[in-house]
Amino acid sequence: MTVVEANSEYDLEEDRVRLRAGRCPDCGAVFCPTGTVCAACGHRGLDEILLAPTATVYTYTRVHQSTPDFQAPYDLVYADFPENVRVMLPALGEGYPVIGEQVDIVLAPGPRVKDGQLIDMPHARTAAERSEHDG
Amino acid sequence: MDDVYVLGAGMTPFGKHPDRTAADLGAAAVLEALDDAGVALADIEAAWVGSVFQGMAMGQRALGDGGISGIPITNVENACSSGSTAIWDAAMSIRAGVYEVVIALGVEHLTGQFRGAFTPDESDIEAQRGLTMPSVYAMRAQRHFAEFGTTTEQLAAIASKNKRNAALNPLAQFKKPVTVEEVLASRMIADPLHLQECAPVSDGASAVVLVSKAKRDQLGRGRAIRLAASVLKSGRKEVGLPEMTFEDLTHRAAEEAYAVSGIGPEEIRFAEVHDCFSIAEALRVEGLGLFPRGEYPARVVKGEADLDGRLPVNGSGGLLGKGHPLGATGVAQVVEVVRQLRGEAGDRQIPGAKVGLAHCRGGKAQGVEGTACTVNILTV
Repeated sequence: MTVVEANSEYDLEEDRVRLRAGRCPDCGAVFCPTGTVCAACGHRGLDEILLAPTATVYTYTRVHQSTPDFQAPYDLVYADFPENVRVMLPALGEGYPVIGEQVDIVLAPGPRVKDGQLIDMPHARTAAERSEHDG
Repeated sequence: MDDVYVLGAGMTPFGKHPDRTAADLGAAAVLEALDDAGVALADIEAAWVGSVFQGMAMGQRALGDGGISGIPITNVENACSSGSTAIWDAAMSIRAGVYEVVIALGVEHLTGQFRGAFTPDESDIEAQRGLTMPSVYAMRAQRHFAEFGTTTEQLAAIASKNKRNAALNPLAQFKKPVTVEEVLASRMIADPLHLQECAPVSDGASAVVLVSKAKRDQLGRGRAIRLAASVLKSGRKEVGLPEMTFEDLTHRAAEEAYAVSGIGPEEIRFAEVHDCFSIAEALRVEGLGLFPRGEYPARVVKGEADLDGRLPVNGSGGLLGKGHPLGATGVAQVVEVVRQLRGEAGDRQIPGAKVGLAHCRGGKAQGVEGTACTVNILTV
């Protein structure tokens, strides 16, 4: 994969987002975002890794009321990554996310709004959206 | 270590008080607690004051209005557990033998301070991606549904129970019962949580006077309630893929409270728990070990947590019915337990109540399940 965009939060490889995370060189625990000290074993300093561009939905909600900084309604998921770490992301796709389904991590606008524009951020793209795009 | 007793309790009505200040509310609760304890302003040796969004030196402002100054005053911020953390601090000072008469105050004035949903701190990456406090609990509810077969109607029954209890509490924000159907008809905030399943924005204050055993014997043996355990824990940084339907934080605080007091969960007659959302009440009582894991919502429907049930939960109306002025909430829970144990709870009195538990759990920060949790166990 070719990195087409990188920032402090993720690398963008073609259309897939790989979130930046930290892995403990001592015990292997993974944290996203990374930290200074491993919360599992106390080791100081975490190695930087990129998470897989796919994850599994642990749980979800549709937010109907938020703050003025966000355009509701929007969906959120907690997604479990193969590196054994859970990350909260907005979701996009048709219908509700489903617990246990696989999602691709992609860059998409929303739900945050700044100066009247939706801000690009990593999203969990559900199967419904994928089948629509792929099919 | 010295035993600790609650000798006095005071609390303002919870609700919208646009014409009052936090200091004014705090002073009112302090004066009521002092009168209830039968102690003078000059008897108070030190004070701890919990609040969350009240700015600098809330304690000095409220206590100053209440006629108390010059003594050590410590301001405490620990999210929704700020007030109950103030109790924990105050109780420790007596246990350590430093003071004999102290006061813990919780106070909050939120009317006009917020637009939209309450969120974690803005520096938190989850808040920047759209996480609100209702959505945290909504996602935990969805998971509870998937794992245990819990339903929206069962969660609505929790909210309905607490609003029904609040209607019996003259100090509660909500004055009339709400049916399950009315809960489900209120607008959706974060699926599956409806408006009536979310704690309201509230103003209010509550205070307790804590004394040593010697002072209890001297000042008022009959009305004193023993603080058998006061425990504070913070959330552990999460590692791996923790279960979001089980509260490690609540569980650890409860286990220590049961060990310290020698009172097990089977001996708890009633509980005030942190029901910031309907699902939160289920997560709390299951974490406390008061009901089997995954079963609480269904048992609420059967009436087991009603005022006349096996183990009444949130007889005061809880946060959902009584209101949730953040810093005041944890102290108000203890005020309610004290009044129940004294037989002063009026229309919501639980007959024969001898042992009660107050659980308060606050906040959300990146990577931790909850920021702070207190469990207080009180006995006659």
